[in-house]
Amino acid sequence: MSYLELSGLQKRYRDSVAVDDVSLSVEQGEAVALLGPSGCGKTTTLRMLAGLVDPDRGAIRLDGAEITRLPAHKRNMGYVFQSYALFPHLSVARNVGFGLEERGVGKPEIARQVEEALALVRLAGLDQRRPRELSGGQQQRVALARSLVIRPSVLLLDESLSNLDAKLRDTMRHEIRSIQRSLGITTLFVTHDQVEALTMCDRIAVMDRGRIAQIGSAEDIYERPATRFVASFVGRSNVLPATRDAEGRAVLWGETLPVAVPASGEFDLFVRPQRMRILPVSEPVSPGMARVHGRVLRSVFVGDHVEVLIEGVGGQLTVEMQSGSAAPAEGTEVAVAWPLSDTLPFAREAA
Amino acid sequence: MNGAGRVLSGLAAIVYALILAPIVVVVALAFSADSFILFPPSGYSLRWFRQLAGHAPLLNALWLSVQIASVVTLLSLAVGVPAALALAKGRFAWRDALTNFFLAPLLLPTLIAGLALLLFFTPLRLTATLPGLVLGHMTVTVPFVIRMMTTAFQTLPDDIEAAAATLGAKPWRVVWRVTLPLVTPGLIACACLSFLLSFDETVISLFLSGPRAATLPVEMVRYVEGRTDPLIAALSVLLIVATLIVVVVVERLVGVARAVGK
Repeated sequence: MSYLELSGLQKRYRDSVAVDDVSLSVEQGEAVALLGPSGCGKTTTLRMLAGLVDPDRGAIRLDGAEITRLPAHKRNMGYVFQSYALFPHLSVARNVGFGLEERGVGKPEIARQVEEALALVRLAGLDQRRPRELSGGQQQRVALARSLVIRPSVLLLDESLSNLDAKLRDTMRHEIRSIQRSLGITTLFVTHDQVEALTMCDRIAVMDRGRIAQIGSAEDIYERPATRFVASFVGRSNVLPATRDAEGRAVLWGETLPVAVPASGEFDLFVRPQRMRILPVSEPVSPGMARVHGRVLRSVFVGDHVEVLIEGVGGQLTVEMQSGSAAPAEGTEVAVAWPLSDTLPFAREAA
Repeated sequence: MNGAGRVLSGLAAIVYALILAPIVVVVALAFSADSFILFPPSGYSLRWFRQLAGHAPLLNALWLSVQIASVVTLLSLAVGVPAALALAKGRFAWRDALTNFFLAPLLLPTLIAGLALLLFFTPLRLTATLPGLVLGHMTVTVPFVIRMMTTAFQTLPDDIEAAAATLGAKPWRVVWRVTLPLVTPGLIACACLSFLLSFDETVISLFLSGPRAATLPVEMVRYVEGRTDPLIAALSVLLIVATLIVVVVVERLVGVARAVGK
């Protein structure tokens, strides 16, 4: 049995289902991301773990013991809130020491551990400040130190980086990850930001409408999305409507592609734009590659890459080229090729 | 400033003048040297303040009012703050109904409340007693405290209390260490206002007062019924000054508390 087990968790509100059916096993020391759009139930799941929301059904087990109905203050979970939720009337040191004071730890010991925790998040020397005197990034670190100092069984991070600017977010991402690794602390990380999920966690659970759509490594999720939702939520994809020929093969823009397709119903082919290459029309492709024809509509320079929009008989697609390589001129007839193994067919959902 | 702004400012000035004019008259009368109410006074002096210093019935009533208002304030907070906490943070059946029930007395004319209390207290021998007056005033101050503190508790971000809980604080510790400190400014303002409400309460007091237990407003009403000298004006000026001091002190305290808190 895993260190942390969620089984069949469900939470309904009066007129909506926040969490429908969530089961998840987390090993000790593992970092797992709950990734999904807003309203998918990821924060509710995290709050049920912390004891801040009562599940209607299901069970939570921690280290073999059932904690489903245990009140929040007995769970020993470190929760870092999106708003940080620092105590505005207490100094940084009192904020960080709060959990230890509540546990009846002696004053000198609290002082020592608070100092250690503040050093860990690189805030040494700010212990007498008030939260409002700190920048967003510093407040974030205080919140993190406050949750770590109680040596929580599980660290729960709720969209913890979303209020920081892009550059700081990058730094904090790496810092939190390295702290998490060095302390070997089991962590659940709620985010709607796939980069956060991909870079900070060992495994990712993609959530969709109150359920886990797929759980796996960053590579699994990205390369082998299990559902249409995962494919469209994680990373960017060209969504190319295709048809089926008499032998059941996919037909895209008039070209037959030997990929396995759904037996019935309408479907689309998902292809990542950076897996596509632009070739001269005359250049042949090796077997194992898909190839369609089109005309360059326009190129957009995005900095680290160039997006080339191509129009063919069946619609449009975007190819991502590395910047530096010369993009073909607008109006040029070109071929677009990509490995067949990067072609992911998904049935079109009933509207 | 445009035309509409000028018209509005003019209207505001008129309204202020209407509100403040009687106070100006009272202040002028307080320093009158005349033996009866005459406006404008023919001369100015401090004789009515000296007279007031020796007027036992009014001073006794003042002392009684201060005592009653203090007890009323303490009891109202003791009852109202936990109730407000439950109404704002609790999750239980009939919560909305209870909230409305506790606020209902605010809508009831005090005349009716006074009459009802008189009928209710007479068989209990509570009329013209200190407990009777305290209970009577609490029918006004408790709903007020509940209303004000419910709002104060509701505007606190839930996450801060949730954070305290996840850090291991038991529910009563969360209230003691986080919730109450964060609403301290509201608590101070609430205490001062309920003191003033009780101190100022006239209608209910008129019903419940007797010869031995008369609050200051009641004693003042009795005085002006029989006499027409500026003594009451002098007393009024003192009350205005005292009220102003309380308001300024609260403003300062609450301002300071805010600055320290957030």
